[in-house]
Amino acid sequence: MHELSLVQGIINAVGETASEKGGRVRSVRIGVGELAQFDIRLVRGLLNDLKEGTSLEGAKITVEPEKSKVKCLSCGRIWNFQELAGPISSDEREMMHFLPELLNSCSRCPNCSKSYFEIEEGRSVRIIEVVLDA
Amino acid sequence: MPESESGLDFRRGMIDRRIAQTKHVLLVMSGKGGVGKSVVSAALAGVAAASGLKAGLMDADIYGPSSALLFGAKGLPVEGESGLVPPILGGVKVMSVDLFASGRPIPLAGSGANEILLELLALTDWGNLDLLVVDMPPATGDIMLTLTSLRKDDFGAVVVTMPDRLSISVAHRVLELLRGGRVTTIGVLGNMVRGSTKDKVTGPSKLAEEFRVPLLGLLPYDPSVSGAVEKGNVEALLRTKFAHELRNSMRAYLRGMRKGALRAAG
Repeated sequence: MHELSLVQGIINAVGETASEKGGRVRSVRIGVGELAQFDIRLVRGLLNDLKEGTSLEGAKITVEPEKSKVKCLSCGRIWNFQELAGPISSDEREMMHFLPELLNSCSRCPNCSKSYFEIEEGRSVRIIEVVLDA
Repeated sequence: MPESESGLDFRRGMIDRRIAQTKHVLLVMSGKGGVGKSVVSAALAGVAAASGLKAGLMDADIYGPSSALLFGAKGLPVEGESGLVPPILGGVKVMSVDLFASGRPIPLAGSGANEILLELLALTDWGNLDLLVVDMPPATGDIMLTLTSLRKDDFGAVVVTMPDRLSISVAHRVLELLRGGRVTTIGVLGNMVRGSTKDKVTGPSKLAEEFRVPLLGLLPYDPSVSGAVEKGNVEALLRTKFAHELRNSMRAYLRGMRKGALRAAG
């Protein structure tokens, strides 16, 4: 369950930012990108369990899903995970769970069928914003 | 007044913590493809493990990964509580994008390769290592810049080159980039040297001399290496003449590391 180490990484990073800036954490917004296919309830649960005794305790924590946005650099079409050109196998979904960029290894642009595209949004879990009381 | 912080990449801190558990990081570089970096990296990690060091191999050649193949590693790494557990083969912990991609092409645009590298570095639970060997990709782009900016004190690079002018000219650029930076150039390693005096004089030796770094050795062109590589078994690779010479070339470097490991063990 590598979600656990990612959530721990988020908590550590927020804590380090708070101590560098010398402020109390008021709120944190976490995005969960659809390409990594994390269970958002699991991410919320882990944040709740692990925040005790850290700088996130008492802060408002929002965890929100983020749709993917993929840009074809060949034809310019913007597309998302739901519009994949071909069916993605369970093995391929699993490799994307760890490394979302491997979408490029198992999919093509639904418009021009090229593999020349870039993930712009919704890759994996990320910190959208940390608000500190200075 | 509340202060807002956005764009915080939490993986950087995860990477720093992982790397802090490794005593030495060694980048195996050349700037050019086809000079044998991956085979040198695999053999070096294997030699280190066989000498009693806790060794890992990070395949940073995201577009053309080969470490998994060299070690015969297959299948997704196991998920542990502290991250992804790299498989151990020939005593070496091995991590490669190919454990996930399993031979599929990896066509990545823009920042894709660097994102994969950051993710692998952040997620891989190496545990405590004496030496992490990094098989670097050709070229001097994002991946090289990311890896050479890791926060690490014991951080070295070996520059591998064939004796020909093309390889030497690219290795020259890499040495130039390393000069004055925070990565210590451990030395130059000539590879696939066919033994003529001319090669030795005009090739890697001169390069090392120009940059005032040690010439670690001149590894012979050894046809038995390809047979060992075919087997996907690092033990077979370690039985070649090439690996024997590599062991001699890196003896002093590894000896220093073993002394450090023994001191730490008390």
